[in-house]
Amino acid sequence: MTKDTTSIKKKRKSSSLIERRDRLGWVFILPFLIGLVFLYASVIWESFTYSFAQYNTIPAVKGGGYTLTFVGFDNFSTQLLKVVEGNTEGKTYLELIFTSFASQIVDIVIIIMFSLFIAVLLNQKMVGRTAFRAIFFIPVVVGAGIIAKIDATAGEILASMSSLEGIDMGTANGGQGASGLVSAMDVNMLLGNLGLPTTFTDMIIGLVESIYSIVNRAGVQMLIFLSGLQSISPAIYESCSIDGATGWESFWKITFPMLSPMILVNAFYTIIDSFTAESNEVMQAIIGISPNGVPNGLQSALAWTYFGIVIVALLLVALIFKNFVFYNRRND
Amino acid sequence: MNNNQENTTPRVLKSSKNKIRVDFERTSLKERMKAKYLNSLFYKKLLVAVFRFILLLGISYIILFPFFSKISASFMSPQDFMQSDVKMIPKFPTLNTYKYLITENQYFKAMLNSFLLSAICAVIQMFVAAFVGYGFAKFKFKGRNIAFLFVMLTMIVPHQILASSFVQKFIYFDIFGLFEATGLYRALGLTQGIYNTYVPLILLSLTGLAFKNGLFIFLMRSYYRGVPDELEESSFIDGYGVFQTFFKIILPISGPMLITVFILAFAWQWTDIFYVNTFLPNAESFLLTSGKFWSTMPETLDLLSEAAGPSAKTFEVAVKNTAGLLVVLPLIILYIFCQRYLVQGIESSGLAN
Repeated sequence: MTKDTTSIKKKRKSSSLIERRDRLGWVFILPFLIGLVFLYASVIWESFTYSFAQYNTIPAVKGGGYTLTFVGFDNFSTQLLKVVEGNTEGKTYLELIFTSFASQIVDIVIIIMFSLFIAVLLNQKMVGRTAFRAIFFIPVVVGAGIIAKIDATAGEILASMSSLEGIDMGTANGGQGASGLVSAMDVNMLLGNLGLPTTFTDMIIGLVESIYSIVNRAGVQMLIFLSGLQSISPAIYESCSIDGATGWESFWKITFPMLSPMILVNAFYTIIDSFTAESNEVMQAIIGISPNGVPNGLQSALAWTYFGIVIVALLLVALIFKNFVFYNRRND
Repeated sequence: MNNNQENTTPRVLKSSKNKIRVDFERTSLKERMKAKYLNSLFYKKLLVAVFRFILLLGISYIILFPFFSKISASFMSPQDFMQSDVKMIPKFPTLNTYKYLITENQYFKAMLNSFLLSAICAVIQMFVAAFVGYGFAKFKFKGRNIAFLFVMLTMIVPHQILASSFVQKFIYFDIFGLFEATGLYRALGLTQGIYNTYVPLILLSLTGLAFKNGLFIFLMRSYYRGVPDELEESSFIDGYGVFQTFFKIILPISGPMLITVFILAFAWQWTDIFYVNTFLPNAESFLLTSGKFWSTMPETLDLLSEAAGPSAKTFEVAVKNTAGLLVVLPLIILYIFCQRYLVQGIESSGLAN
């Protein structure tokens, strides 16, 4: 007994100045922790409990409010196996999640490659670099909210009035917009004549049509890559070129490994951004279940299944990247 | 040896007190140009530069084109939408759309409100992100990684799903029953708690939970990781405490990154549609992105479009487009002045861990 207390005392004594200072870190992250505990945790918990219960509103005459009846996993089983509203192929919500997942992954890989490519280009010295940078970051500044919303409503109405598409070519609304820029027919003809498999041509056409949305979704990633590129010391490139490396080689041997932490970050950001964007079809389905914001057990069940899958995807990405992310650390 | 020196000694043409012109033998201009431009390396470089320029120009066009089409549509009158040959340049240009949106929808009032709210939220988010980011970057306390995981998690669940819970929370908002006991809400004339005021958005900003604040915390954390520890050590030796060091030394040097975060926070709050319409749906102090401004047809325009007949619906869309342009316009003007700081901050950050 006495031994124990002395050992604890010893431990206390041995906590160094640095350790004590490190504990002050809690004070710095306190604003976030307070929000997390008092605001966010309860909100998240509420939404989570809804997914296991049936939400009944009590009419205002009887005093208002709501009751929850616990139903176990019923919400999950009914909602996930339900056929998506308005879907002609009889796709269930679970299938919708997975098919949209597959198409999103292609998009995500392309967004990351595209933003890396453009960041490398924008980092080079050339005519009009400032102007190009300014233009490329416009979507970051204005693309987040209102424009996308307006484009979506405009697209809906204009799609039904095809003769009047003049005012709105090139909107964020899926493929319709970009077809004004590059004709899908031409690409189809070109690739078809080359004798490539149709799945491949379909993929290419999909990309050509979604180039507008890819450019618009790659802004923040470009910023992050640009900052990563700036932090690579030019001395490394210099010594490499003295050793006789070409530009291509120095990209793969220097730029790529040095940027690998940024690639991980961007993978995370892009996954979160594209899976939880309002334009995502699963998100639209989730919001569509209860558009006026009244809590709904089925909606919560679907949403939490989806977020669970997204979290698993993030963990997988973290595991895969763990092996070949290169950290250029000085001391820790 | 002697001879050699004589050859290389330049002939003085003209010399004054602080200028001297000398003449020395040089390869002729033609030869020099030949050596410089007529080789494969130069061609390769030129080709790459031209290709790069065209590519960037093309992508810039993709980014800017929707703006061009919106701008041209904003000057069109209802008659223009009836004619299929009018694509970009209106035949009957009019300023009515702008005129009535500005006067009847109280554009300037909305703009002022938006500006105030965005500025307040952006300043708060900037400092909170810096504070929290610094905590994550420079202190190796236990549980730091788990806490950071929570920062990431707050970004995963979109607030649209949690809207009703948040609203409930804000209607019945209270700190340990303090507001109820003191009758603060009644004194302020608020019947629904802090709902329908700016407070919920400020509260979310203060706790780093507002739109994409996880990203800001992450950016600041990476920035502070690149700041050498020696800086703080020397300040500790000078007798500063941890907080003094942060406010007097670390904050001033993180200016560029703070500006980047500020620009992003400001722009995203300005164009935000979801939070504004969930937390302040019928506030008297309406914003640019409130339904009252951007999705309401001004009465006069409504009459105009009814008179136009078949193209009424398209005209309505065009008016909405113009409203969107008016929302974004002040932001773009600000962006033109600030864009170099946006990239500067990111450049100076040295984000790599």
